[in-house]
Amino acid sequence: MNKEVDVLIVGSGFGGLGLGAKLKQNNHPSFVIIERANDVGGAWRDNTYPGVECDVPSHLYSFSWKMNPNWSKTFAPGDEILNYMRDCAKDENLLENIDFNTEMLTSTWNSKDKLWHIETTQGLYIARYLVTAAGHLADEHLPNIEGLKDFKGDCFHSARWNNDADLTNKRVAIVGSGASAIQIVPEISKIAKEVVVFQRSAAYVVPRPDSIYTEQQKRLFKRMPSEMNKLRQDIFWAGEYNFIQRRNVPKFVNEAKKTALDHLESQVEDPDIREKLTPDYEIGCKRLLISNHYFPTFNQPHVCLEASALHKVEGNTLFGKSGVRYEDIDTIILATGFEATQPPFAKRVFNDQGHSLDAQWDKGMQAYDAITVHNFPNLFVINGPNTGLGHNSVVYIIEAQVDYIMEALEHIKIENKTVFEAKKSSEEQFVTRLQQMSEGTVWLAGGCKSWYVDQRSGNLTLVWPDFAYSFRDNNGTFHREGYDLS
Amino acid sequence: MNLSENKKIETTFNGLPLNYYDSGVPRVENDNLPMVIIHGTTGSTDTHFGYLFPLISSRCRVISIDWSNINEDKLTLSDLKEQVYSVINMTLEGKKYNLLGYSLGAVIAAKIASERVNDVSGLILVAGWQKTDEHQILRNHIWNILRKENSEALKLYMSFCAFSTSFIQNSSLEQTVENAKKIEINEFIDKQMKLNSTIDITDDLPRIKAKTLVIGCSQDLMVPTHHSKQLFSSIDRASYLEIPSGHGVVYERPAELFQHIDHFISNPERFTDGSVINVRQA
Ligand SMILES: Cc1cc2nc3c(=O)[nH]c(=O)nc-3n(C[C@H](O)[C@H](O)[C@H](O)COP(=O)(O)OP(=O)(O)OC[C@H]3O[C@@H](n4cnc5c(N)ncnc54)[C@H](O)[C@@H]3O)c2cc1C
Repeated sequence: MNKEVDVLIVGSGFGGLGLGAKLKQNNHPSFVIIERANDVGGAWRDNTYPGVECDVPSHLYSFSWKMNPNWSKTFAPGDEILNYMRDCAKDENLLENIDFNTEMLTSTWNSKDKLWHIETTQGLYIARYLVTAAGHLADEHLPNIEGLKDFKGDCFHSARWNNDADLTNKRVAIVGSGASAIQIVPEISKIAKEVVVFQRSAAYVVPRPDSIYTEQQKRLFKRMPSEMNKLRQDIFWAGEYNFIQRRNVPKFVNEAKKTALDHLESQVEDPDIREKLTPDYEIGCKRLLISNHYFPTFNQPHVCLEASALHKVEGNTLFGKSGVRYEDIDTIILATGFEATQPPFAKRVFNDQGHSLDAQWDKGMQAYDAITVHNFPNLFVINGPNTGLGHNSVVYIIEAQVDYIMEALEHIKIENKTVFEAKKSSEEQFVTRLQQMSEGTVWLAGGCKSWYVDQRSGNLTLVWPDFAYSFRDNNGTFHREGYDLS
Repeated sequence: MNLSENKKIETTFNGLPLNYYDSGVPRVENDNLPMVIIHGTTGSTDTHFGYLFPLISSRCRVISIDWSNINEDKLTLSDLKEQVYSVINMTLEGKKYNLLGYSLGAVIAAKIASERVNDVSGLILVAGWQKTDEHQILRNHIWNILRKENSEALKLYMSFCAFSTSFIQNSSLEQTVENAKKIEINEFIDKQMKLNSTIDITDDLPRIKAKTLVIGCSQDLMVPTHHSKQLFSSIDRASYLEIPSGHGVVYERPAELFQHIDHFISNPERFTDGSVINVRQA
C-alpha cells in the first residue's frame, strides 16, 4: 500500500530529528521520517568505535531547544550523544512518525501529480515535499587498494565497527589519520600487541580542553538553566573566534599553528617521528583535530607510524606507499572517511526529466541558500552543499536550515501554492557569491587536498566559508524572491 | 594582524608622523559604506583592531588611524579628533561613511558625529562614555599612584580592570602576567589617562543625527554599562545592546562584536531607533 504524506524526511540524525521535532511542535498533520537503520542517531548510532566523542563541546553540540544539564564532560562520548538523540525522539513523540528499516531507493519528482514518488525497501511513499537529511558523513569511503579484498583477517571501516573482532594482543593496522583515527589509535594501542598507523598526510592537532562536569555543576545547570545557556553562548563565540584562521589572516593562522606545533613538540619525544607528524600544508586547510592522547601514543615501542598511504595487501602483509612492509597483520581498521563530496543519496533523487541530482552536480554540489536546487521542485537538502564548518557546531547549521524549511512551508501555504522551485539565476548568483567569499580562505589557499573541495571544479562545496552566525543570517530565513511558486 | 595585505600609510600631521591603514574595497563587491574605526586608550590599530580590521575589511572599506603623541604636555580631545579628521580628509573627502569608536575612541567618534552630521551616516560606540564619573576617577587615581610608584602591579591592575572574571578565570596567573607585560606604558599613555579623567561631551550628543548603535559590555569594570546607557538615552537615533564581556571586548568577544558590526554595516536600518536589541542566542 502506498503511504501518502505531506512531508517526507530521509534520515533520523540531527537533521531529520531537528525538522521532525519542529513539525511536531507546530502540529504538522502529515509527515514521516524514513530511516534505513533500526534506530535514530545517524552518525552517533553508526560510529561506535572505541574513543568516539564529539569535537564540539556538548552544551553547544545539541539542540538549542533541548539543553541537557547532564552531559558528563565537555566533549560527550558517542553513546551519550546517541542517548540524548533517542530521548529527543521520545520526548517529542517522534517515534510514531519514524519508519525504521526503510531505505530510500529512488525519489522521483512527478510533474503530473506534482508529488514526489519515493521507492523504499518497504514500498512506495508519495509526498508533496521531500527533505533529504541523509547526512554528509553517513556513507563510508572505502579505498580501492590492491589485495585488500583478499585480506584474511578482520577488516572493517571505523563507522561500521565490528564488535566481535577482539583486538587484544593482536597486530592491528589503522589506515588514516583523520578525526576518527586520532580517537581510535590511543584506545586500540592500550590493548593491541602492535599497532601500525598508515598516514597519507599528517594532521594538525591541538589540545583538547576537556573536563568532567561535577555533580555540583550539573545541579546548577538543572536549578539555573540560564547558567547552562551562558556556557553555550561562551562556547559558540569561542568557536566563532577561530573562523579568522580559516579566513587566512596571518597573525591568527600563525598563532594556531604555533599552538599545534608546540603541542606536537611537547608530546612526542623522537624528533624523527615528530618530523613525520608535521603537516606540509597550512593549518585549517584540512580539519583541525583536537586530542591530548593521539601524539603520545607514538612514544610507545609497540606503536609504529608509517608516514605513507596503504599501497597494497598481500595475504597478511601490508605495504606502505613508501615500500615498507608490515607482516602478520591480524586486523585492518579503515578510518578512511566518508563519501562527502559526492553524497550517495544524490544518485537516488531524480527530477521529472529523469536526471539525478548527482548528475546535475557533475561539477560539484551546489544549492540556493545552501538548501534548494533548481530543476528539483519541492526538495530541501539538509546538511548538503556548503553547510559544513571547520570551526563550529553542525547542529547550529541544521537548526538554521530547519527554520528555513518551516518558514518556506508556511509561506507556500499562505500564498495558497503547492509547488516551489529555486530559480536557476538565484542559485547561480548565490554560488558565485560563495565562490568570491571562498577565495583566499585557507581551504583553497592552504596547499592541501581535502574533502571540503570538489576536485572536479576546484570549488569549495562542503563548507560555509564564513562565520556560523552568518550562515543563519543568510540561510536561516526563506527568500521568496529566489523562487517560482505555483 | 593581516595589515601586510592592507596598506599602512605613513603620513604627517602638524609636522609629526601619523600612520593609518586603508584596506581598500572588499573582495566580495557590495555597496556598503566605508567605515572609519578609532581605537582606545593604550591601543593602536594592531592591538585593539588586530582581529576586527581584517574582518571588517571583508565587508567594506575600512580605515583605521593610529593616534600619535603630541609635543604639548596636555592632550585634549580636540587633538585626537583633529588627527582623525586629517585622515578622513585624506581618504574620504566628501564621502559618507560609518564611524566606529572603542572606549576613548568612542568618545572621539561621538564628538565627530556631532560635528560632521552630514558625513557620518552610521555610528557604533563600543564601551564608550559621555562624562567621566567618580568611579572612573577613582580607578584613574589608583592608576596614577601605581604609575608614580613605578609599581609592578600597574599592568596587572590594568588587566584586572580590563577583563571579565570568567575571562581571567580561563587563563593561568602566569599567562595573565605574561600578557600584561605586553602593555606599553609611556608618556603618551600618561597624557591619555589624564584626558580620560576629564571627558564631558554631554552637550554634543543631542547634535548627533547618525543612526547609532551603542554597545555596552555587561561585565565592564572600566566603563560600566551605565555609561553606555547614558549614550543610548542622549542620542536620538540610538539603539542599544550588550555583549557579555569585560571592557576588553576586542580580545574577549571579538567575533560577537564583529557580528553586530557586520549587521550594522549591511543594514543599519534593522536597528530600530530607541530600541534595546535582544541579542539572538546560539
Ligand atoms: C565520528 C563523527 C564525529 C563527528 N563529530 C562532530 C562534532 O563534534 N561536531 C560537529 O559539528 N559535527 C560532527 N560530525 C559531523 C556529523 O555528521 C554532524 O554533526 C551531524 O551528526 C549530521 O547529522 P545529519 O542528520 O545531517 O546526518 P547523519 O547523522 O549522518 O544522519 C543521516 C541519517 O540518514 C540515514 N540515511 C542515509 N541515507 C539514507 C537512505 N537512502 N534512506 C534512509 N535513510 C538514509 C542514515 O542512516 C542516518 O541515520 C561528526 C561526524 C562523525 C562521523
